[in-house]
Amino acid sequence: MANTNNDQKKGAVLVVGAGVAGMQASLDLASSGYLVHLLDKSPTIGGIMSQLDKTFPTNDCAMCIISPKLVEVGRHLNIDIHPNTEVASIEGEAGNFAVTVQTQPRYIDLAACTACGQCRQVCPATAVNEFNQALDLREATYMRYPQAIPRGFTIDREVCIGCGLCEKVCLAEAIHYDDQARQKVLEVGSVILAPGNEVFDPSRFDTYNYLNFPNVVTSLEFERILSASGPYRGHLMRPYDREEPHKIAWLQCVGSRNINACDNSYCSAVCCMYAIKEAVIAKEHAHADLDTAIFYMDMRTYGKEFEQYYNRAKEHGVRFIRSRVHSIEPAGECDLRLSYTNEKGEQKEEVFDMVVLSVGFEVGQGTIELAERLGVELNEHHFAVTDGFMPVATSRPGIYVCGTLQAPKDIPQSVMEASGAAAGTSAMLSEMRWTETRTRELPPERDVSEEPPRIGVFVCNCGINIGGIVDVPAVREYARTLPNVVHVEDNLFTCSQDTQVRMAEVIKEKGINRMVVAACTPLTHEALFRETLLEAGINKYLFDMANIRNQDSWVHMNDKQKATDKAKDLVRMSVARAGLLKELHEKKVEIKQSGLVIGGGVAGMNAALNLARQGFQAVLVEKDKELGGLARRVSHTIENLDVQTYLDRLITQVKSDDNVTVLTEAEVVGFKGYKGNFTTTVQHGPDKTEQTVEHGVAIVATGAHEYQPKEFMYGESDRVMTQLELDKLLHERTNGSDPATWSNVVMIQCVGSRNEENPNCSRICCQSAVKHALQLKELNPEMNIYILYRDMRMYGLLEDYYTEARKKGIIFSRFELDNPPVVNRNGEGVEVTFHDHVLQRPVKVPVDAVVLSAATLANETDRLATHLKVPRNAYGFFIEAHAKLRPVDFSSEGIYLCGTAHSPKLISESITQALAAASRAGTFLAGKTLSVGGAVAHVDKTHCAACLVCVMSCPYGVPRINEENVSEINEALCQGCGVCVSECPAKTIQLSHYEDDQVLENVHALLEGVM
Amino acid sequence: MRLNYPTNIKIVKLPCSGRVDILHLMKAMEEGADGVFVAGCLEGDCHYQAGNLRAKKRVAYVKEILDKIGVGGERVAMYNLSAGQGPRFAEIAREMTEKIKALGPSPIRIAKRKAAGRPTTEEAA
Amino acid sequence: MIIAKPKPIEEIIELVKDLKSVLVAGCDGCVTVCEAGGMKEAQVLASALRMYFRQQGKDARVDETSLTRQCDRPYIAQLDDQIEKYDAVVSLACGAGVQFLAERFSKKPIFPGVNTCFIGVTEQKGEWTERCQACGDCILATTGGICPIARCSKRMANGPCGGSSSGKCEISKETACGWHLIYERLKELGQLDRFERPNDPKNWATSRDGGPRKIIKEVSQV
Repeated sequence: MANTNNDQKKGAVLVVGAGVAGMQASLDLASSGYLVHLLDKSPTIGGIMSQLDKTFPTNDCAMCIISPKLVEVGRHLNIDIHPNTEVASIEGEAGNFAVTVQTQPRYIDLAACTACGQCRQVCPATAVNEFNQALDLREATYMRYPQAIPRGFTIDREVCIGCGLCEKVCLAEAIHYDDQARQKVLEVGSVILAPGNEVFDPSRFDTYNYLNFPNVVTSLEFERILSASGPYRGHLMRPYDREEPHKIAWLQCVGSRNINACDNSYCSAVCCMYAIKEAVIAKEHAHADLDTAIFYMDMRTYGKEFEQYYNRAKEHGVRFIRSRVHSIEPAGECDLRLSYTNEKGEQKEEVFDMVVLSVGFEVGQGTIELAERLGVELNEHHFAVTDGFMPVATSRPGIYVCGTLQAPKDIPQSVMEASGAAAGTSAMLSEMRWTETRTRELPPERDVSEEPPRIGVFVCNCGINIGGIVDVPAVREYARTLPNVVHVEDNLFTCSQDTQVRMAEVIKEKGINRMVVAACTPLTHEALFRETLLEAGINKYLFDMANIRNQDSWVHMNDKQKATDKAKDLVRMSVARAGLLKELHEKKVEIKQSGLVIGGGVAGMNAALNLARQGFQAVLVEKDKELGGLARRVSHTIENLDVQTYLDRLITQVKSDDNVTVLTEAEVVGFKGYKGNFTTTVQHGPDKTEQTVEHGVAIVATGAHEYQPKEFMYGESDRVMTQLELDKLLHERTNGSDPATWSNVVMIQCVGSRNEENPNCSRICCQSAVKHALQLKELNPEMNIYILYRDMRMYGLLEDYYTEARKKGIIFSRFELDNPPVVNRNGEGVEVTFHDHVLQRPVKVPVDAVVLSAATLANETDRLATHLKVPRNAYGFFIEAHAKLRPVDFSSEGIYLCGTAHSPKLISESITQALAAASRAGTFLAGKTLSVGGAVAHVDKTHCAACLVCVMSCPYGVPRINEENVSEINEALCQGCGVCVSECPAKTIQLSHYEDDQVLENVHALLEGVM
Repeated sequence: MRLNYPTNIKIVKLPCSGRVDILHLMKAMEEGADGVFVAGCLEGDCHYQAGNLRAKKRVAYVKEILDKIGVGGERVAMYNLSAGQGPRFAEIAREMTEKIKALGPSPIRIAKRKAAGRPTTEEAA
Repeated sequence: MIIAKPKPIEEIIELVKDLKSVLVAGCDGCVTVCEAGGMKEAQVLASALRMYFRQQGKDARVDETSLTRQCDRPYIAQLDDQIEKYDAVVSLACGAGVQFLAERFSKKPIFPGVNTCFIGVTEQKGEWTERCQACGDCILATTGGICPIARCSKRMANGPCGGSSSGKCEISKETACGWHLIYERLKELGQLDRFERPNDPKNWATSRDGGPRKIIKEVSQV
C-alpha cells in the first residue's frame, strides 16, 4: 500500500451494502460533497426492498418507489458502485482508512455490456432464481431483476457449462470467461455499514414442514408470489398446483421470539405489519373471496399510523387469531392442517390451502465475519453494538452503522438511520467536503423555441403494471397518429437506466424537441425523465407525463378495453399540451448557510449540534426556559443509560458550540421567504424580544407530551400515576412515597392510546412499563407487579427485556378494549379488578400504586404549522413527505422534521431521526446555490392595469407594482401556485408551464375525444 | 392503493386548486364535459396557503352561472381531500360519476352532437 | 375610479337571445380594476353566452375582446373593421364607454353588460365603496376631506341631521353618517370651529341640475 499522509482526512466514504439504507446514506453523502464508494456483494444494488411487492402502511409498490432511487444512485456522479465486492481488510483510523476490497469476477464487462439480453436468450443452463426465492428458474447468464443497477448481466459460473454461446452472440464483446477476482484499496475518511440482514431459514426445524410441503412458503416467497414481476406474474397462486388459494394462514414469529428452540429471542420488528399487508394485498389479488387468518402472539403495529392499518385490515375481513401454532400437518393431497389452542383454551383445527411463515430477520454469517474483519463489535444476537445516545456509531470510531445490522427494523427506520449515519460522517469530515467530488458537464441546451413541435411519445409497460391491463402497442400506435408526433415506442420499464440512455440517443437522432412519457406518476418519475431530456440537450420543461398507471391501469383493472381507451385519451391530452410547452430557464440563488431548529429537546439539540458540526450555523429555538424537553422527565433508558447525565452533557455541548445560538422562552411569530432563504421572526426571553433569523433550512422538533388521563381514577387518588410520574418517584425515592415500600403494583397499558379518540399506538409505553417494572423488582424482588396490556409491543431487541420481566415473575395479563380493568377506591387505598384470561374470571388486587401507561401526544403546534405551512395529521403529528422513503423531509423543500413531533418514539430513535434531519438539511445547504424560476408566474405588462388584484391575492405577498407602474413578480419568491393568474382581471399574468392555453389545450384534447 | 373508480374520470393536473380558473371550468363545460370537479387540499391544509378557498369560491360562481344559463350548476363541484386519502378520491370519483350519470349528458354535449349529426343517446362520459 | 358591477346574466341573455353573433367588449380601464368588465369578465361572459346559445340549439357566434379604454375614440376605432361581423355588442365598460361605442357604431345595437354604480375606492379585494358624486363644485376643503354630497344620504351641505345616531345614518345601521365622519375628522384636525361657519347653499348648477355637462380646457385644445 502506498504511503499516505495520515494527518490528511479523506473526502471520500465507503458504504458497505447497497440496500435501501446504503443507497440513502450514499445519496445524502454524495449530494453533500463527498465521493462515495458503494459496495455490494451482489451483482446489483437494491437489497431486500427490491424483492418486496408492496410496502406498508401506504401499500406503495416497493419497486415503484425504490426504482427512482436506484436510478439516482446509478446516475450520481459522486457514487461509484462496486458490485460483486466485499471488504477484505481495513487499516487506518477515523478520517483516514485504507480499505482493501475484493471484487468477484462477473464474467461480463459492465463497461461494455448494453444489457441487450442476447446472452440470456441463448443461455442453455438454468439455475434456481434466488431473486424469486427459488420459486422459478433463471438462466446462468442473468440480471437479478429488470430494473437492476448497474445495468448489466452476470454469469453464474457455478451453473454455467462454458458452452460459449453467449460469447458468440455478444456483439459488444463483453463476455470474459477468464475474468478474475480483483483487489483494490479505497482510501476513505469513514465507513458506513449497511449490509442488511438475512431472513430466517425455517427449514432448520421440521415442525412447520417447510421443506416437505410446497404450499408452506416464507413471507418473502409470498412477496414474490404477489409481485407483478414475480414467478407468477402477480397472479395469486400456490406453488403446488398453481391454483388460486381460497384460504391462507400466516404464522407469526417464525424464527423470532424464541417460539422454538432454534429461533432467535428478539422480535424482528416488521413481520406483524408485513403479514397484515400481505393478507390485505392477497385479498385484492384474489378473484374469489379469500379467507385470510393471521396467527399471532402480540400484534405489534407500533409505527406511525400502523394501528389504523391494522384496524382497516380487520374491517377488510382479515382474521386475527391470538394463538401459537406449533406444527403444520398435511390435509389431503396438498392442503395444510393447523391445530391450535384459542384464547379460551379450546383445541381448534382448521385446514388452509396455503400457509405463509412470517420469518424474521437475522444477521448473516458473512456479515458476522465482515464485522470481525473490521473490528466492529457485535452483541449476543450479532447486531452491531451501538450507544443508545449515538445509535449510528459502532464500537470503532469512524465506522457507522445503519439498517438492520443495527437492529431489526423497517424501511423508514432504516432510511432515517442511513441519513443519521451520513450525518455522523458528514460532521466528522466536513472540512473535506467537495475535495474529491466530480462535476457534471451537461450538453448545451439546444434552442428549440423557433422549431415546430417534434414530439416523441414513450409508452411504458411498467412490467405488467400497465401492459397487463392496457393494450400498450395499441396506445403506441394511436400516439403515432397524433399531430406533431415524430417518434413512438413502448418499453418494458421506461425508467430503467438503459432505456433512459437510449431515449436520450433517440431524442438527439430524431430531432425530438418535446417528450411525452405515458407511464406512472410525475410525482416519482418526472425528475428522472426531465434529466433524460437534459442529457439530450433539451430544456427539461419540454416534457409531459400521461399517468396511465396510477390513474388508469391500476384503478381500472376490471375493464381492459376502457382502460386502453382512457390511456389513449390521456396520451392525446399530453401530446396536445406538449405541443404548447415552452422552454423555461432557471437561475441560481445563494442558499443561506444556516438552519433554524424549532424545539430544544433531545431531537432539536442533536439536529442543531450536528448541523453545527457539519460547519453550518444553527439557531435553536426552545419554548421553555430550559433546554431538554420531555427527556428531562426520564431518568434512565431501558438499557439503564443515564438520561440526565447525557442531557447535561448535550446541553453543555450545544451551548458551547460557536455555531449554535440558543434562544429560550422563544416562539416563532413570523415566517417568510423560501427554501434556502427563510426569514423567521422569533420572540424570546422574558421580555419577548423580537429577533429576525435568516436561514436556509428549518428543522421542526417540537416534541410531544404525556397524555393526562381522564380514566382509572387518575387525579382522584395519589396512588394513581402515569409512567413519567412513577419515573420521578423512582428517581427521588423520598420517604413516604418510596416505591421500594410497595408490595402490589398494577400497570395499565394503552391509556389514551388505541381507542376511539386516539387510534394510534404510542409505541414507547410497553417498554416504559417493562423498564419501570424491572426497576421496581430491582428495588424489591418481592413486589407483585401486574402489567395489564392489550398487546405487548416490545419490538426488536426490546423483546429481551420482556422475557427478563416474565422470568422475574412480573405478571402480564391481557385485556380487551371493551373489557378494561376497573380501578376502585378501597378504604384509604385503591384496588384493581381485571379479567384474567388464564383463570377465565375476574381478579381483584388491592394495590399500592396504579401506573397508567399514558399516551404520547403531539405538542400544540397550530400557529407554527400555519406559519410554516407544513401539514399535520388528525392527531397533531407532522406529516412527512413520504412515509417510507422520505421520513424526515416535508414535501416543501428546505423544511425537515424529527423526534416525537413526527410520532412517538424512544430517545435513541429521536436522536437517529434528528441526525437524519440534519443530514437531509446539510445535503440541501451543502449545494450552496439553488435554481429558481421555472414554473412561476410572469406578467405581460402591456395589459397590466396595475389594479393590485395580484398583490391582494398572493398568499406570499410576492407581486408588487413597480416603478413602471405595472405588476412585477419576483421569480425567486414566487411559489408557483397560480392564484394570481386565476384572479387577474386583465388576464395578463400567466403561470409558466401551466399557461391558460396549455391547460385549455389539455381540456380540449380530452373532450375532443368524447364529442 | 389501486382503488377502483370509473374510467370516465380524467385528471387535468395543476399545481394548486388556486390555479383553477373560472375560465377553465367554463371552457371545460363549453367543450362538452358532462361534469367537472375540482379536487383541492383539505381546508386549512392548502400547500399554497389558501388556493383551495379561492377555488371553492370560483366553483360556487361557476355553479351560479351554469344554473342561470340552464346547463345546471350541479355539474361542477369542489371536493377537498388530502394526498393521503386515496379511498376518498375513489369515493368522490364514484359519487361524482353517479351524480352526473343521473343528470345525463350535458345539454351542451347533446346539442353539439346533434349539430354534428351524431347520436346523442349514449351514456354520460 | 368608476365602479361597476356585472349585470345578471339572464338580463344579458334577454338582450341577445335572438341574435346570431355577439361581441363582448371589455375595457382595460376602471372596470378591469373593479373586476367587473376586463378581459377576464369578457371571456367568462362570452363563454356563458356560447353555452346558452349552444344548448338552445343555436349556432350563434360569440367573441370577446377588451379595449384599452372605451372612452377614447382611437381605442374604440379598433373595432371598426370587426363590427360588421356582429349583430350587436355587449360592452362591459361603464355607461360612458357603452354610449361612446353606440355613437360610433350607430347602426349596431350596443348593450350594457355592467351596471355603472359610482365613483369610488377599493376597500379590500372584492369590496368597493362610493366617494364622489361628480357634483362639479368640490367642497372637500371645508369638510375635512369627507364629501357630504357622496356620503350623507341627504347630501346636506351642513349636518348632521336628526337622523344621525351613534355615528350611523338612519337609513341603515350599516351606513356611517357622513356628517358624523366629518365631525370626527375636523376634530382631529382641530377645526371644529368650522361648524360655527355654515357652508353656503350648494350651487347645483355645476352638477346634473345644470343639464349635461361639458368641460373645455382651452390650453389643451388643438
